[in-house]
Parts: sequence; structure tokens; C-alpha cells
Amino acid sequence: MSKTTRILTVDDSASMRALLNHALTSQGFDVAQAEDGEVALEWLALNEVDVVITDINMPRLDGFGLIEKLRAGNRHRDRPILVLTTESSEEKKTRARSAGATGWIVKPFDPEKLVAAVRRVAH
Amino acid sequence: MSFEAPFSATAMTRINILQGQARVSAGPRVEFSTVLGSCVATCLFDPDIQIGGMNHFLLAEPPPGASTGDFDEHYGVYLMELLINEMLANGAAKSRLRAHLYGGANLNAGLARIGTKNAAFAHSFLASERITVVREDLGGNNARRIDFRPAHGQVRCRTVENTLVADTRPTPRPSLSRGDVELF
Repeated sequence: MSKTTRILTVDDSASMRALLNHALTSQGFDVAQAEDGEVALEWLALNEVDVVITDINMPRLDGFGLIEKLRAGNRHRDRPILVLTTESSEEKKTRARSAGATGWIVKPFDPEKLVAAVRRVAH
Repeated sequence: MSFEAPFSATAMTRINILQGQARVSAGPRVEFSTVLGSCVATCLFDPDIQIGGMNHFLLAEPPPGASTGDFDEHYGVYLMELLINEMLANGAAKSRLRAHLYGGANLNAGLARIGTKNAAFAHSFLASERITVVREDLGGNNARRIDFRPAHGQVRCRTVENTLVADTRPTPRPSLSRGDVELF
């Protein structure tokens, strides 16, 4: 029996965090939540996680900034980071990819597809 | 948001907001219009920078066999987030946003719960996002027509014939085209 996969969800919308929390905990994942990139960085400095799921448009530190900062350090250089966003532009997707994102998901998310993606990248 | 200026129709560009859409504008002569039955329209306004936006949604029914409750909130959350993100991208601040909510009528017995569910969803969403609702006209049994001038925050809400409402059935969640995962 493998250990529980730990996920950090980063989204400024409380409603979206609640939806994600429900979709992921009901599938047995251990879920923590952060409301923007800054909070996520602080949390990630002290806690271990298997997968990060982040929004793009957020106050203070957005998803691009979060990915860049995580990739610049040693601790989370290889951490799977899935972007979950309302943005559908190719330019934003390309930017996320070059910042070091692992995958790109356009909202509204399908719980089954999201869970499958998390399982695939979590190793 | 108030009616400080006369609501005249001179040289306005009217844009119809259809179910599933969210639009934002700072154009002084732009007017967003929509007709609502059981659907809900959210009007957001940032008074400091004179910009506003409107969405129009009907909660989707969950996929067959799903046990996620009576209605699926994904689509409503998505349209709310789309509207808020567009407001923020145009310079609005979430803490300054003021909301109006309209619609959520129960036009006939067969669809009785849909309007009520939509209105309840909109209320709980805005409460959890800490966005103040300054005016609302929800529920009842009559269709409404909403005219919103986004740059002024002015809203006119009128009761209209129920027959003017476009066929509004809960749409299946758009999971086929959305939510696809692309791994890099």
C-alpha cells in the first residue's frame, strides 16, 4: 500500500479551493490549500508535498511567479506543478511551460481528468 | 451603484449577454442587457475606476449517475471566476467590487428548484469571496430584463413576459471541451 499523495492547491477563489478540496479528498488525497503564490511559498518552505496545483491569476504572487520561484530553488525543482486556470491563450500556456510547469488544465475542471492527471504526475 | 443620471437610451451600444457568457467594459456608452428566467446574472462594479461586468449562468446538471448533489457548481464557479478575473485584469480591485444579483425565478413547476438553486449558489459564492451584494432582485415567478451600464454601475431591472426568456435548460457540464489535461 503506497502512502497518501499530498497536494497543495493554490487559488485565490475560496469557492474554487472548496471545489478542488472536495474533488481531491474524496479520492483519498491529502489536500492543503493556499490563497496566493506568497502563501504557497511560505507553506512549501516548511512542508512536504507531492504535487502542486496552481491558478494563474492571483494577487501578490501569481502562478507564473510561483512556478519560477519554485524552479529557482533546490527544494521543489522537480516537483510536479499543474496549472489550473480560466486562461485559454496559447501565449499564457507557453509562458507556463517555459516557467517550468508540468501540465496545463483549463477550467472548468473535470474531477476525473484532474485526478487522473495528479496520479500520473505524482509517481 | 445608483440611478444618479437619467437612464436615457441615446447612442448606447447594447451588448446582449447570453447564458454562459461573462463580459467586462469601461465604455461610457456601453450597456449590457440580458433576459433572465431561472438563470442568474451577476453585475460587478468597481466605483473607483468606473468599470463593470456581467455574467449570466444556469447551474449545470451533474453527469448521469454522479452523486455530487442536485446541481453541479463547477460551471457557476467558472463563470463567476471568469467575470472576476476579467475585472481584475482591467484594473479592478476585489475588495472594491460591489455586486448586484438578478434572476433565479421559478417560471414553472417543472423547473421549480432551478431558479432557487441558482440564486442560493450566487449568494454563497459571493459571501465566500467576501464581495458585498448591494442590490438584488431574485426569485419569484416572473422573467426579468436587466440593463446594466458597466462604466456607471447603473442597473435597471424590469419584469417582462415569461415568453421572452430563451429556452433555458440546465446545460450538461462542458467537460468534453474543458478540463482537458495537457502534460508538457
